[in-house]
Amino acid sequence: MQSRDQLTDDLAPSYTDRSIHSDIPRPVSTGIRAAAVVAAWLVPGAGHLVLGRIGRGALFFLVITGAFITGLAIQGRLYWPTVADPPSLLHYDLITVLWTFAQIGSGLCYLGSYVMGFGTTPHPEAATYEYGNTFTFLAGLLNYLVVLDAFDIGAGRKR
Amino acid sequence: MHVLMMTLYAAITATVLAAVETRAESTRDRVIHGLKIFGSFLGIGLLLSWVLYPIPW
Repeated sequence: MQSRDQLTDDLAPSYTDRSIHSDIPRPVSTGIRAAAVVAAWLVPGAGHLVLGRIGRGALFFLVITGAFITGLAIQGRLYWPTVADPPSLLHYDLITVLWTFAQIGSGLCYLGSYVMGFGTTPHPEAATYEYGNTFTFLAGLLNYLVVLDAFDIGAGRKR
Repeated sequence: MHVLMMTLYAAITATVLAAVETRAESTRDRVIHGLKIFGSFLGIGLLLSWVLYPIPW
């Protein structure tokens, strides 16, 4: 019969690859997750702050808000769906719907700017007009990714 | 101007994509992943511009 110590020594190697999973991501409550998703859409990075990921939240805020402001600063334009001319099956001009969808992803950046009238007057004659539009689209689309990331963290699928 | 804008675009995109990367285990992995995305954006952009340059329209 093996002594207790010998038995322990024999068993130990099979447990060496076990880690203590104290950092396993855990899902948060549905309310907090919903708050994180809404906050993430309204203010880039705020969803991660709600979930305690302060560093990542600050990074997202700086990068996405910076992209949006850069876009507006270099004569980018904010879109809103316009009625198609000539009339189409969709009633609205599809490309303006898609551009609006892309830009509105940046939440309050878009809504606040639109309400205050920043970027609502197009300047297609400006050399940087298309660059500016692209940066505002980029900010919104990246923020959709960030919203999904916040949802996944809240659901316990990611750290 | 175009290269500057492309670089800025690549930097912003690479930063966010690296930060939301699921498979990265550490910050170092994320940084490496981000640099790969950044380099890919610039490299493919320059390659495409070189390939498309002779086309007159």
